[in-house]
Amino acid sequence: MSAPPSMAAAIAASLPAPQSAPTPAGPTYEAIPASMSKVIDIEADIPLACVQLDGMVVSKIIKHAREAHGTSAHGVLLGLDLDGTLEVSNSFPLPHHINDDDDKSVKGVARYQASMLRSLKEVQADDSVVGFYQAMALGSFYNQTLVETQAIQQEKLRHGGVVIVHDISRTARGNAAFRAFRLTKAFLDAYKRNNFSTESLINHRMTFSSILEEIPIRIRTSPLLGAFLDTLSAPSVSAEPSFAKPSSALPPSFSVLNLGTNNVSKNLEQIIEAMDAYKTEEGNLAYMQRQIAREKGKADAYVAKRKDDNAARIAQGLAPLPEEDVSRLFKIPVEPSRLDSMLLLGRIDAYSKTLEETSSTALVKMYASRGSAVV
Amino acid sequence: MPLVPETSALTIQNGSPGFLSTPGRTPTSVTVHPVALFTILDHYLRRTESQDRVIGTLLGTRSDTGEIEVRSAFAVLHSETAEQVAVDMEYHHTMYELHHKVNPKEVIVGWYSTGSNLNTYSALIQNFYSQEIAPHQAIHLALNTGVEEGQQSGVKAYVSSPIGVTPKPENAVFLPIPCELQFKETERSGLDLLSSVSNGSTDAYPATDLDILERSLQSVSDMLDRVLSYVRQVLVGEVKGNAAVGRYLMNTFGASTDELEKGAFNTSLQDTLMVSYLANLVRSQAEVSTRLALATAS
Repeated sequence: MSAPPSMAAAIAASLPAPQSAPTPAGPTYEAIPASMSKVIDIEADIPLACVQLDGMVVSKIIKHAREAHGTSAHGVLLGLDLDGTLEVSNSFPLPHHINDDDDKSVKGVARYQASMLRSLKEVQADDSVVGFYQAMALGSFYNQTLVETQAIQQEKLRHGGVVIVHDISRTARGNAAFRAFRLTKAFLDAYKRNNFSTESLINHRMTFSSILEEIPIRIRTSPLLGAFLDTLSAPSVSAEPSFAKPSSALPPSFSVLNLGTNNVSKNLEQIIEAMDAYKTEEGNLAYMQRQIAREKGKADAYVAKRKDDNAARIAQGLAPLPEEDVSRLFKIPVEPSRLDSMLLLGRIDAYSKTLEETSSTALVKMYASRGSAVV
Repeated sequence: MPLVPETSALTIQNGSPGFLSTPGRTPTSVTVHPVALFTILDHYLRRTESQDRVIGTLLGTRSDTGEIEVRSAFAVLHSETAEQVAVDMEYHHTMYELHHKVNPKEVIVGWYSTGSNLNTYSALIQNFYSQEIAPHQAIHLALNTGVEEGQQSGVKAYVSSPIGVTPKPENAVFLPIPCELQFKETERSGLDLLSSVSNGSTDAYPATDLDILERSLQSVSDMLDRVLSYVRQVLVGEVKGNAAVGRYLMNTFGASTDELEKGAFNTSLQDTLMVSYLANLVRSQAEVSTRLALATAS
């Protein structure tokens, strides 16, 4: 049983075109029929209204998030955008690079991605990258890498990339949560100019909640998948029902009814950490502001003194001294970027939102289980 | 004299009891992860017209006691004609390398196919995979998609063992081994989401925690209604009561909630209230702070 390398090429050549959405006209220079022109969107004109996730992608992301320890689980989303809906049909995880600044590891990741895309193409899977996914715990995903990756691939991908964020702790609580985001125009503007000083923030009216805007998600299971799941969860008929073992492969789970506060302490710890970081960051910012104010004050004083001197000399009839360029004498430091503090605030807000949700459900359950006792 | 009645079923005997992680140990049972199943189904959907069934590699972990856990799968190019079968080995190696980089713990454990007919080609492919992962044995997962009439969808797992006079690779018999679906608790809610979507429920997504809670409570309430009507019927005498059912019900409902009132329950309740208040406070504080940053000019 031999498989010479040319066999792969022969197979690939003999296979018909992929069965996903109709391919754009591309290099064959045929006119797109009018009925299709709404659907085939080469210029990415139709804005994205909704993201549709395939069932397989859902379970793959959950599995990767669970196995990768910590928040470093991220990967690539593949799919197609069709008439305002971004259909994500496949995904694969990216290897975790230890040091982001290391040139070799960045190239390694790029190589990994390229060969993965090539291989998937051979088995007729979609191979166009439409975004990234990231898994995190306890609700916070505002960090530097996310924002940078998004901004970088904004130009490369159609519609800018979409980030799907998955909260592994929320899934563990019983509520599988996926949210899709993309960068807002305001943020992109500020990022391009790399200017996050105070006036630019005010100009763009940027708060931490306006960095990313959310897109609604729809989950879709192919009919085959649905039929399979139905078969798995249908209880099997047996003559002697047993009470210990459930009768179907996928019995309904009631783990959400468990009492008890899970993860509250960890959540609180993270809030405290984030707040400490924010306090440090704000302290730094305030220090820089004071520096800037001091330098400005000195420069202004110098200019004022010059003016007075000149006025005095004119009064005495001497030639006025040249007004020197103050910017060469006093170096006014550039205003620091407030992006970090904004991101930290976003994290604090996200952590406390998760905390709020857990405690509110816990409250409901506790009050309900008190039962007949007088409230 | 045999102690067990003669059966025509073939079963696996453990090679040498007491040995741990013996290479070449025959696998005794297989647990499959839902991700692998969905990947296989997706590959089957994407096959071209010329392919009747698709094959691919299974990745997973092997335990010392011969239990194999299938964690994920990827598709492999292959072509099957009346005369010969060909598998693209290079593609298989490339994909395995890529997958291994992300998840070093997963190794090749076998292969899958979406048809349930085990023919000579299956034996050949099985032999190829066994050579790949020698000295361990490869398992074969036959996934029946249930698309054809009369065939129930399901998954069966097999191990091959040589049969016949001459040890040729085509002469092998596939012995079934038990196979079951297994998933971690965290993935449970993902599966629930998928099955509710496939059932066509029109609930808004994303559901809040309270929605999920409400659904569970609703189903518990339905179950209680059913049990209540059954008990009433038994009391009236319409239905003959089953003693096992009665005992089970008595055990389940015997627990009372009196001791909840005392002790840690109330303090825990107060703690939860406090935490909820704090969380709201932090959120409003963050919001105010970010607005203040906008308000100060220069």
